[in-house]
Amino acid sequence: MEKLLTNYYETGAIILFGIGFMTLLLNNNLIKKIIGMNIMDTAVFLFFIAKGYIQGKEAPIISGNFKGMEGYINPIPTSLMLTGIVVAVSTTAFALALTVKIYEKYGTVELDKILNKGE
Amino acid sequence: MLIDSFPLLTVLLLFITASIMPLLKKSNLVKGICIISFIVSFVMYLATLNRVLKTGDYFYRVGHFNAPFGIEFHVGTVECIMGILFTFVAIMVIWNSIYNIHFDIREDKIPLYYLLVNILIASLLGIVFSNDMFNVFVFIEIGNLASCGIVVVKDKKENIKAGMKYLIMSCLGSGLVLMGIAFLYSITGHLNMTYIHNELVKNYIHYPRTILITLGLFTVGLGVKSAMFPLHTWLPDAHSNAPTTSSAILSSLVLKGYILFLIKVLYRVFGIEIIRNFPILNIILVLGCLGMILGSIFAIFQKNLKRVIAYSTVAQMGYIFFAIGLGTELGIIMSIFHIIGHAVTKAALFLCTGAIIQGTGHKNLDELKGVGKEMPYTLGLFFIASLSMIGIPLLPGFVSKWYLALGSIEANKTLLIAVILASSLLNAVYYFPVSINGFFGEENLRGKIYKSKSKSLKELLPIIILVIAMIYIGIDSQSIINLIKTGLV
Repeated sequence: MEKLLTNYYETGAIILFGIGFMTLLLNNNLIKKIIGMNIMDTAVFLFFIAKGYIQGKEAPIISGNFKGMEGYINPIPTSLMLTGIVVAVSTTAFALALTVKIYEKYGTVELDKILNKGE
Repeated sequence: MLIDSFPLLTVLLLFITASIMPLLKKSNLVKGICIISFIVSFVMYLATLNRVLKTGDYFYRVGHFNAPFGIEFHVGTVECIMGILFTFVAIMVIWNSIYNIHFDIREDKIPLYYLLVNILIASLLGIVFSNDMFNVFVFIEIGNLASCGIVVVKDKKENIKAGMKYLIMSCLGSGLVLMGIAFLYSITGHLNMTYIHNELVKNYIHYPRTILITLGLFTVGLGVKSAMFPLHTWLPDAHSNAPTTSSAILSSLVLKGYILFLIKVLYRVFGIEIIRNFPILNIILVLGCLGMILGSIFAIFQKNLKRVIAYSTVAQMGYIFFAIGLGTELGIIMSIFHIIGHAVTKAALFLCTGAIIQGTGHKNLDELKGVGKEMPYTLGLFFIASLSMIGIPLLPGFVSKWYLALGSIEANKTLLIAVILASSLLNAVYYFPVSINGFFGEENLRGKIYKSKSKSLKELLPIIILVIAMIYIGIDSQSIINLIKTGLV
């Protein structure tokens, strides 16, 4: 329990990941599924960025004088997550576009109804 | 040396030619550019394989930063073989699509379709070559979007449903993979596979639980994408509803890219000494066995020919997981050999099926009885390819089954031979009726005119070359296996 509290970023990220995962798996509504997917991605971003953060150090942007390597947090996870965000945004856009198409063809966004109509 | 940069150049070439395509109005020009870009890549990989065989594996630095900060490509024998295989199958499938893509896709969508194909294959090659975990993740996501794109491109009701299902499942998979990468990064502080492996070997004793979770995340995440048995639910829909060209590419290449990444994660990132301490290989083995048996059983009950072949893919992926799960050197070699054999065979099967469906206008097995009289050559090729799936000697299907059986004896799991035998018999149960009902039977052949719907030789040539390549892989299996063996070390 104490471990969970000291690593509260990671704990939060994993809880969010679980929420997103279950929303993605169990909901029938496609929009909710996409929201679940986004929550899941955000949880990974939080996890990654929390790994790069070091207590009491600055963001790795040099304004004024350079404080040496010790003065800044690890920039790699942050920059990786920029790519991650781009990927997540494009996937979401594609999924939403498909949802629009599905609504046009089937008249509903509930997955169980769509599956029944397909038979 | 210029030849060193060929793997990177091919990936870039495919991406750049893809970005030119939507600017061109003429679809013939687009088809030409697409096939030429693949032929150039194919030749480049042959040159790279030649270079690697002479001077050994090497790491190619992308950009100006050295590892661990920059991205690296690892170029070895197995990677080059995969590059040759992917581009070869892609050339044949695209050659075949030149004659019949307009049956499936609207004229104005054709340039966009070839764009997606180029991007998809380029991202798969990226997954195969890259030695950087996050880089692989980006390629996985590109491939994910492109492969959903080539499923929905037909713009029919069922396609969009199948595409949505596929997209949701593969997003789930890539989310899990990204979480796995996050865990690895947090233990080791690296993203480069070689460096991660070096750190893990030193420290894995301290993180047993984290490594177990990470292995689970990678196996399930990549298992979703490469249709490991209980997670395969999206595959039959996506592969059977997509246009023929897409089905062939998805079934023979896309799954293989992800499974190769799983092999890399298990054996290059973690290494056999670490994963031996965890039950992960046994789980993969059991799921592979289940896939081999149940995938075939599901296939028997299908009425649509394309769905039969899609379920057969589930069964064949089971063989690959089975081979990985054996955990011996022979197992890994056979998983790679089966990837090669299955890619060529399944591409030929899907292209034949596409030709049959297009020629007759029927999809269901009942309506396809007697098709052998109308399209003797196409069904003949289908028959030869299905023989390999069943495991008739000399063909690649038999070779991998034979060595898998030897591998299970070597690993002291003789019970597994029964699974291989049962799966082969089940394969025969659903592949033979297609050909038998197609060629024989009084009532089946009544009213059919000989060769009435036959395709011209020009259109059959890609399938014939695929079948010849398949027979060559079967006959010359020993040298291919030796080649893979030298690449593994």
